[in-house]
Amino acid sequence: MKTNDLILRTTTALIAFILLAFSIYLFLAGHNAPGGGFIGGLMTAAAIILMYMTYGLDTMNKVIPLNFKLLVPIGLLIATLTGVGSFVFDQPFLSQTYTYVHLPILGDAELATAMLFDLGVYLTVIGITLTIILSIADDN
Amino acid sequence: MGESILHTVTIICIVFISISIIILLYRVLKGPTNPDRAVALDTIGVNLMALCGLLAILLVTTKLNDVILLIGILLFIGTIAIAKFLEKGVIIDRNRN
Amino acid sequence: MSNLAIIPIIIPLLCGIIAIFFHKYVKAVRLFSQVMSIINLGVVLWIGWLVLQNGTITLATGGWEAPYGIIIVADPLAMLLVITSNIIGTACVFYAQSSLSKKQEQFYFYTFYFLLISGVSGAFLTGDLFNLFVFYEVLLMASYGLIVLGGERIQLRESLKYVLLNLFSSMLFVTTIAYLYSVVGTINMAQIADRVQQVDQTGILTTIGMLLFFVFATKGAIFPLYYWLPKSYIVPNPVVSALFGALLTKVGIYSIIRTFSLIFVHETNITHDLFLWLAGFTMVFGAIGALSTNNVKLIIAYNIIPAVGFMLMGIGLLSQDGLAGSVYYLLHDMIIKAVLFLLIGALVYVAGTSDLTKMKGIIHHYPFLGWLFFLAALVLAGIPPFSGFIGKILLIQGGVEQGQIMLVVVGLGSSLLILLSMMRIFMRCFWGEKEELNGGLKPIRSFTWPAAFLLIFSVLLGVGAEWVYPYVEIIANDLLDPSIYIDSVLKE
Repeated sequence: MKTNDLILRTTTALIAFILLAFSIYLFLAGHNAPGGGFIGGLMTAAAIILMYMTYGLDTMNKVIPLNFKLLVPIGLLIATLTGVGSFVFDQPFLSQTYTYVHLPILGDAELATAMLFDLGVYLTVIGITLTIILSIADDN
Repeated sequence: MGESILHTVTIICIVFISISIIILLYRVLKGPTNPDRAVALDTIGVNLMALCGLLAILLVTTKLNDVILLIGILLFIGTIAIAKFLEKGVIIDRNRN
Repeated sequence: MSNLAIIPIIIPLLCGIIAIFFHKYVKAVRLFSQVMSIINLGVVLWIGWLVLQNGTITLATGGWEAPYGIIIVADPLAMLLVITSNIIGTACVFYAQSSLSKKQEQFYFYTFYFLLISGVSGAFLTGDLFNLFVFYEVLLMASYGLIVLGGERIQLRESLKYVLLNLFSSMLFVTTIAYLYSVVGTINMAQIADRVQQVDQTGILTTIGMLLFFVFATKGAIFPLYYWLPKSYIVPNPVVSALFGALLTKVGIYSIIRTFSLIFVHETNITHDLFLWLAGFTMVFGAIGALSTNNVKLIIAYNIIPAVGFMLMGIGLLSQDGLAGSVYYLLHDMIIKAVLFLLIGALVYVAGTSDLTKMKGIIHHYPFLGWLFFLAALVLAGIPPFSGFIGKILLIQGGVEQGQIMLVVVGLGSSLLILLSMMRIFMRCFWGEKEELNGGLKPIRSFTWPAAFLLIFSVLLGVGAEWVYPYVEIIANDLLDPSIYIDSVLKE
């Protein structure tokens, strides 16, 4: 009997986007509430893996033609350079600062340089998680 | 008075849910077939979410709400992975057909 | 307060990350690593010079002042060790191009190497106990990558042991830090030292100290926890063995020197007397191990252990001469162990075997390699006027002053055994009748000159003792008086 996964395919289209939205929320909540780069990256990786499970390797490689290994050094570089960036302003290594800006629709928002560090962590986590899981799942 | 009743009830719930997780662990280890284990793992996850909710009540905080959602999502993906493995034998297949 | 203190950690970290981007292009990544290693060495030398001239540089990362934030402390001891690590690292990078296969180089060798240097420098420089754990993890992660490089069966078996053991001791490390935090309420090393002097309950602190010693002793290969070391250090490529033998155990020793001269000095009759006993056993068993085998690589790996015993002896004595001897011996041993592993790598390469009994007369074909090895053996055994001798004479002076005659005799005896084990290699492998080599002469210039470069430093350390010793004396003084370190970190 040929298995079919109609329900999974229909729901994935919806749920994957909810997951991505949630991961971005977690990522932005970062630095002073539960969340941050690590868990945000994990959620994004979970959403992508859900899509991989539903649509298969070939389709997904066409949809996201990206070598996830490359995300690891890029993320690490961003995180480290955020720390080094404080050298330019003659501040101690890893110094952070923040400001409040007024965005047109969203209202007042806090912008922190810690966010950049989190972005590095976010990319690294996505890269590592997907590299590990896809190389385990790869059957040949 | 109301406060203390809520407190007591929460504690009792936590105790019973913890016991049920332990019993479910037995099912995960013993479980004659793999679908048994899958269902038991899923239920452990549901219980963990409940535990988090109860903890949030106990600590009077909303910070744990994200955690509940997170456990739910990871649980969902985990269950799908197990189900797909049991059904097809692979989790991520090459081709959709 | 200056960002200079963190530079020795940041440069290798950035280089390691950048090296990932083009790890497939061997020539480019090789050149990049060599150039960056030399630049890093130069920068570190400059910072070290500043520290030796103007005193300790501290940095409160993120602007969080001590004792709340993570403090990076570049004091003379840490900087001397960072400089030595970088000298060794530079030599190893130049050695790697001929020692490693192209595939191994492609498989992120240079990234792991830079992360290892970054972790080692961080462990030397940090002034925070939990941060020390973090840098231990950084260097261990890099070493896990290096030890399986090549992926042979025996490597996988030994690395499994290595990983499990280190995971266990890391776990214990974190637990111990938690215990210590529950007693003194801080993890800043200077503040711990400050508070330990005020706390009445010394019993619990001694227990915590011993747990911490157990952790460092596992990494530093002290009797009876050295059993894992020799075999897992000989399975990887010679250049990796050299990095491990020179840097990893020494980080453990440095941690013992730091914590047991700064923090746990309240019950020396328990802790430091135990060190003296363990030092004696370590020297004896390591030297016996070195004589018990015919595998040349294993002989060198076993020779790490008695050296650790000598350094531990100095810490146990806790006197001016003892500590100066320990620090001197630490510097000497880091360099000479790297030299020996590099030379043995070349020897095994030309002979095609690591069995002592199957080699003969290699010096006729490779005179330069032979005499380099002879010189290195003399330096290791502590023949005057080389650096091993100066370290040992200080330790012996310290031992005699405190009436530890037995230990001094044991130390001298084990030095003789070390010399014997080195001469065994020299007489059997290099000396003897000329014999036709199977495979003919191989070009080994790229093997010998990094080793020769390191050996120059080693000889300078001995012949130039007049210039080095004053700094070592200052370091020993600083170590004996914890208040100097505490003041430099917690100054208002």
